[in-house]
Amino acid sequence: MSAIKSDKMRGGPIFRFLVSVRLTIITLSLIAGASIVGSLVRQGASEEEYLSLYSERAYHFIRLFGLDDAYHSSWFYLLMGVFAINLFLCTLQRLRRLMAPRERQAPDLSGFVSAGSGFATDPVNREEVVRRLGPSYRRERVSETTELFEKGRFSRYGAIVVHASVLLILAGGLIGNISGFKAYLALKPGDEASAAMPRKPGQSAVVLGFTVKCTDFRVSFYPSGQPKEYASDIEILDEKRNILKRGRIRVNEPFSYKGVYFYQSSYGRSNVYTFKADGRTFELGEEQVARGVRVPFMVVRYEQDVHNFGPGVMVAYMDADEPKTLWFLSNVEKMRSHTVNGSKVSLENISGQFHTGLEVSRDPGVPVVLCGFTLMLAGLYINFFTAHRRIYLALGPDTLIVAGTTSRNKEGFAEDMRKIGGGLA
Amino acid sequence: MITDHTLLGLATIMYLGLVFFHILYFVWQKEKLLSAVQHILYAAAAVQAAGILMRWAISYRLGIGHAPLSNYYESLIFFSWSISVFMICMRKRRLYPAITFVAAGISLMLMAYASLSPGVERGIQPLIPALQSNWLHIHVITCFLGYAAFAVSFICGVLYFFRPGGIVPTRENLEDINYRSIIIGFSMLTSGILTGAVWAHFAWGSCWSWDPKETWSLITWIIYALVLHLRFTGGLKGKRIAILSVVGFASVIMTYFGVNFFLAGLHSYAT
Ligand code: HEM
Repeated sequence: MSAIKSDKMRGGPIFRFLVSVRLTIITLSLIAGASIVGSLVRQGASEEEYLSLYSERAYHFIRLFGLDDAYHSSWFYLLMGVFAINLFLCTLQRLRRLMAPRERQAPDLSGFVSAGSGFATDPVNREEVVRRLGPSYRRERVSETTELFEKGRFSRYGAIVVHASVLLILAGGLIGNISGFKAYLALKPGDEASAAMPRKPGQSAVVLGFTVKCTDFRVSFYPSGQPKEYASDIEILDEKRNILKRGRIRVNEPFSYKGVYFYQSSYGRSNVYTFKADGRTFELGEEQVARGVRVPFMVVRYEQDVHNFGPGVMVAYMDADEPKTLWFLSNVEKMRSHTVNGSKVSLENISGQFHTGLEVSRDPGVPVVLCGFTLMLAGLYINFFTAHRRIYLALGPDTLIVAGTTSRNKEGFAEDMRKIGGGLA
Repeated sequence: MITDHTLLGLATIMYLGLVFFHILYFVWQKEKLLSAVQHILYAAAAVQAAGILMRWAISYRLGIGHAPLSNYYESLIFFSWSISVFMICMRKRRLYPAITFVAAGISLMLMAYASLSPGVERGIQPLIPALQSNWLHIHVITCFLGYAAFAVSFICGVLYFFRPGGIVPTRENLEDINYRSIIIGFSMLTSGILTGAVWAHFAWGSCWSWDPKETWSLITWIIYALVLHLRFTGGLKGKRIAILSVVGFASVIMTYFGVNFFLAGLHSYAT
């Protein structure tokens, strides 16, 4: 550890700052701080929502620093960029240092002995000590009289592997950000689409290059009313309506075609309300206005169960510049029709249909990210749970000194040294 | 009839006994009491494990079979159990009664909160589709083993501010146990975050969506990464590491409890 500080630093002061762990500590603290702010300030809401939550001045401040989308703001990317450069340079430097030829000289062995990680014994015991060390150590002659037994050299690369994995994950995220997309599809059985809706308003729809058709959607419920399972059957069609692929999408079981993944992310129910007014029939969806009647009206709300009277719809209309609402209940005879400004309006039918909500995404960064994950776990294991052990056997005129060091788990090492020296004169 | 609630209630009482026997030991300093403490710890952990398994079995009998790791109540029980398991695994490198005392206190508090608080739903609930995944198990297990390790690190951090001697272990021992706990906690938390990200990828089509729980787990992760690096640069030791262990655990608490109460998100424990 002290080797880091005693190592001669190369490069100018700016470079030295860029590779320093101090910069890491600064950037990581800032990233953590920014994340705290981002988790406390409502993210990605509309202007009205912000103004109902915060004062106007606070909202001004939030917009000024992009705190309403903190994790995608330019200063957050800048922070990540500095962090990535720091990590990259630092990893390269550590790698170069580890690859550099090492000094062969044995360190001060008597110090190890007095620290308890070594012992002195009679030279005749050499064979026995080597036997007790076992075959897992790599043997190397350091000088005429000194031999080095070494194990777990790769352990020193653990931190580097972890660092590289962080870089890989960031790179994967970047790749996904640049060349991937995230979009959304809401399809009723029978519907098809060849472009997916963007996640954010203002972005354009994503043209898929093929057609997705939802052939079926089913949802089942637990007795408590919670959803138990939902799944969509879809077909991929080309422009000549040939079926290229078909499959079922369940929650946790996505479906892919040519790098585009479809996830079962939600479902919804949309109703069609049939009304009769002035002798005409209207089929209305929510928020759709019935026009061409004396009093135009629209459906503003649907309730599965209105005060235990079954399903009902709230209809809004204008009564001499004043908005008014009325409930129509389909299961209650008297509430099925009302007289609105002199004309009779009646609810004939409510037919409901589920639609599936599919997340559609293409993310070429995912394999890179997954590689990063695996590497990170491997690196942590190597770094924390394996140790680099060096044991020297120094032959003196009438003693053999067996002593060494380990990079981790000093207690375990001292205990093993005691075992190796146990019972030897 | 014996149900999971009977066994878990029994385990709660045993944790109470465990705390009580610790106090007896601190007063009388008898070796016999110390060995009683150890046996009660084993027994409590075993009974609690039986309770968790029983709950698992019952969920299958109800036709909604799933591992008991899916709601807030079950996670509290598992958290409490993880701390005891961590204590038992640490036994090899000597169990300090001051540490097991606080750990037993935390386990007791978690169990009492789980079984008494009116805000905690204790029934076995069916799983919503997003949770029906094998990633759930590995994600929850690794996260809570990590939290348990950080709890031990927190205990070491707090004990650091007491005068060593008597029942308080030496500062070297506390630092050693603290560092080992952080290593295990950091590895487990990393596994927890990564398995969570893989799961989110399959369930929602996106590894990371900055939902508050994810964000806070990242903050916690960064804090412990800072601790590991501060040891190298500042050669940070002693008091400051102790303070950071307490700060880190505060962040764990925010990740686990705080987010549920203060911030809304995708995670199901948020209800
Ligand atoms: C979030 C990002 C990072 C993670 C997860 C991470 C992780 C780790 C881990 C697990 C260790 C081993 C610690 C130990 O053995 O106690 C380590 C060591 C180290 N890290 Fe990082 N690190 C990160 C970023 C950085 C950056 C940006 C630098 C750049 C200066 C850096 C410099 C070092 C150094 C110098 C060591 C010790 C050297 C060694 O043993 O090879 N780390 N890091």
